[in-house]
Amino acid sequence: MNIEYRNREDTMRKLSLSLAILGTTALTAPAFADDTHMIVDEPLELTIHMHWPRAQGYGVGGDVGKIYPVEEAAREMTGISLIDQTSGRNTKDNYEAMNLLLAQGNLPDIVGGNRIQQPVNQYGPEGAFVPLNDLVKEHAPNIQKFWDEHPGLVEAISAYDGNYYYIPYLPDGKYGRAWYIRQDWLDKLGLEQPDNVDELHEVLVAFRDQDPNGNGRKDEVPYFAREWEEVLRLMTLWDARTSGSDTYHDFYVTPDGKIAHPYAQPAYRDAMANLAQWYSEGLIDAEIFTRGSSSRDYLLGENLGGMTHDWFASTSGYNAALSEKIDGFNFVPYLPPKSASGVRMEEHRRIPIKPDGWAISYTNKHPVETIKYFDFFFSPEGSNLANFGVEGKTWDMVDGEPIYKEEVLTSDSPVNSQMYLEGAQIYRGYPQDYRYEWQWTSPAAREGIELYDTEDLLVEQFLGVAFNKQEQEVYDKYWPSIQTYMLERQQAWILGSGDVEADWDAYIATLNKMGFEKVIEVMNTAYERQYG
Amino acid sequence: MTREQDPTVGQTETLVVEAREAQRHRKVGQLERVGDHLKREWQLYVMLIPTILWLLVFLYKPMYGLQIAFKDYSIFRGVAGSPWIGLEHFQTLFGNDQFIRALKNTIIISFYGLIFGFPMPIILALMFNEILVQTFKKTAQTIVYLPHFVSSVIIAGIVITAFSPSAGIVNTFLGWFGMESIYFLTKPEWFRPIFVGTGIWQEAGFQSIVYLAAIAGVSPTLYESAVVDGASRWQMMWKITVPSILPTIIIMLIIRIGNMLEVSFEMIILLYQPATYSTADVVNTFIYRQGIQGGQYDLAAAAGLFNAVVAFVLVMTANTISKRYSRTSLW
Repeated sequence: MNIEYRNREDTMRKLSLSLAILGTTALTAPAFADDTHMIVDEPLELTIHMHWPRAQGYGVGGDVGKIYPVEEAAREMTGISLIDQTSGRNTKDNYEAMNLLLAQGNLPDIVGGNRIQQPVNQYGPEGAFVPLNDLVKEHAPNIQKFWDEHPGLVEAISAYDGNYYYIPYLPDGKYGRAWYIRQDWLDKLGLEQPDNVDELHEVLVAFRDQDPNGNGRKDEVPYFAREWEEVLRLMTLWDARTSGSDTYHDFYVTPDGKIAHPYAQPAYRDAMANLAQWYSEGLIDAEIFTRGSSSRDYLLGENLGGMTHDWFASTSGYNAALSEKIDGFNFVPYLPPKSASGVRMEEHRRIPIKPDGWAISYTNKHPVETIKYFDFFFSPEGSNLANFGVEGKTWDMVDGEPIYKEEVLTSDSPVNSQMYLEGAQIYRGYPQDYRYEWQWTSPAAREGIELYDTEDLLVEQFLGVAFNKQEQEVYDKYWPSIQTYMLERQQAWILGSGDVEADWDAYIATLNKMGFEKVIEVMNTAYERQYG
Repeated sequence: MTREQDPTVGQTETLVVEAREAQRHRKVGQLERVGDHLKREWQLYVMLIPTILWLLVFLYKPMYGLQIAFKDYSIFRGVAGSPWIGLEHFQTLFGNDQFIRALKNTIIISFYGLIFGFPMPIILALMFNEILVQTFKKTAQTIVYLPHFVSSVIIAGIVITAFSPSAGIVNTFLGWFGMESIYFLTKPEWFRPIFVGTGIWQEAGFQSIVYLAAIAGVSPTLYESAVVDGASRWQMMWKITVPSILPTIIIMLIIRIGNMLEVSFEMIILLYQPATYSTADVVNTFIYRQGIQGGQYDLAAAAGLFNAVVAFVLVMTANTISKRYSRTSLW
């Protein structure tokens, strides 16, 4: 917990006191009768484009006829109503919807949703969106406070002209994926949890050869992953990097503050040789490239899979789900094994900032009111509203903590799905509060997260750069082809249809011929300008 | 084999003859003739309207946007507001080895599709035509049509499962002969056969409908006289059925050639891997990765325009050749 939360809790405690006085009997209507958050004297309507994976439109489940309870509460508290004007309702592709919107030219007052950063930063400087720097400084004390407490975030969302054009969705919580292993298999074979890469190799070989599932067949799949790209994370065990962010194959920040690409490093070459070796030994799912997203369900459900690297939240659910089907099934998170040089590292983490959120378009006649409205969701009350839904309806303040009602936590529907229907946890710009997720995180996952918290495992994240036009052109011209080539070679090496040691010099030469150095140069120029 | 004469066939022919006669006898002004014609055949023109509208809206109007292939296109500035940059996008494309490779793959995959895929529906239609038991014929037809109505995603799932090295039916089969299992979908040399084969399996049945319709239109009198002359079924097929449906086959071939570069890329996206890019990456998937995913619509438009020009040349050539040698042509 950092300072920001302590402050927030203090305020909440005071708030809950005042709420107690006001009475907490109201169920659906917000209990905030004071008008501390009132932004306008006369009710104001603003139009909004809100396109995100769970709903294509600003309304319950994308049905704009149904107003979110959170929106109703926000209307009452701020005096501002958001009216849906979403484009591309018939597509789930957010880029497509955004492009449709921009091509129409008639932008609504607020443009929000999933993955808006790239278009907003590209067209903001062209005049499509309002720069927010001064607006936030003058009218949005809560947002400004958040920036002050989290240095580096404003830089990360800025466009190439130095302005920023959107207020992001800011995820909370640190850990995403973790290493999971079949503890019951380890116990059966009399093995310990692997503490380093060599021990891991021994364990995987034992999984392969010693029939831990006891069916008499050599059908175990020692290591598997839902996304084939996850197999690359094994390379961190030989001190290579595979990505700098929560996107696969991304650039990363070197210890001396430069941008580099993991797949052009000597460490990658050596790690790849080891990875290919493991693949050829049958320690990695032979079908990892085609097994697809259901592989975790299948391989765990059929008692075949031994180890994976996947999300805490979803992976910890299998123990309960499979306890009846597979006797003694126990799939547990364990600390990342020490690498060849003795480093424990978990490369994947939650990114502190998402390309999602909302922006003010140039057609908006009330930018000041709009930024105040954005600011509302950074205030303690607004943040609770955006995170937990309407107080008294889905949660109550207990000892200064927002606590979900029992029926929310015990419902058949996951808490996040319930929240999406309330209008909470949707992709507006707001600071996510980890207390939201913690309350419905299973005990097994909580233990795992606490385990990971015992060591300093995480590495610095690359939060992306904003290119200017020339840089963008260089990147667009060279990068897609380079990445294609990198991935082609990568899979070929893993599958054994090429030898990384022998191919390496030719590989680097080809990369450079394809413009790799130029891309690295613009990445670094942009990075220097943005964060330097 | 007996067929009932369709009474309307003869009627239409008589009508056409009458109309032509009438036209020849009338020697009036051009405009008056057109007006007269419109008045007489207005129902036909009304029926034509939806098609013309469709063409205008979906094929001609978008051509306006083709100019972005020569522009530095920004969605926000719009088509008209974006500056011209000449042939830069084309230079970028042809300067890219991966585009050249994709072009090569497109042609090879299309060519395979043409050689192996084009005759299949014809053969199927001929075979269906020889089935005498109606229920069996109907059942067989339904079964071969079915894959056409299944979404590509599901087809791809079936293919991935069938070729899986551990549980796939193909490798199980190979295992019976003591052969080692092959991870087909990561082997570049296997991609094209699998893709083309899947395409044939999915579409051949449905495409055979056109030929079945053509076969149904062959006059039964030809078969009756052939039977009288003592022709075998095989002879009737080769000497009557095939020559009778030849115009249909040629028209279909010309259309097919025109669509040659339109490889069904959603299927490729579902089946390919970086490991198989070297044989699987086609122009459309290249455009998808380079253009759409990267938001480079202008570059994608340039590649699309290039595709269209090649297709146009192919159709023109095929049509001309066909006109010269078989006197059947699209126009």
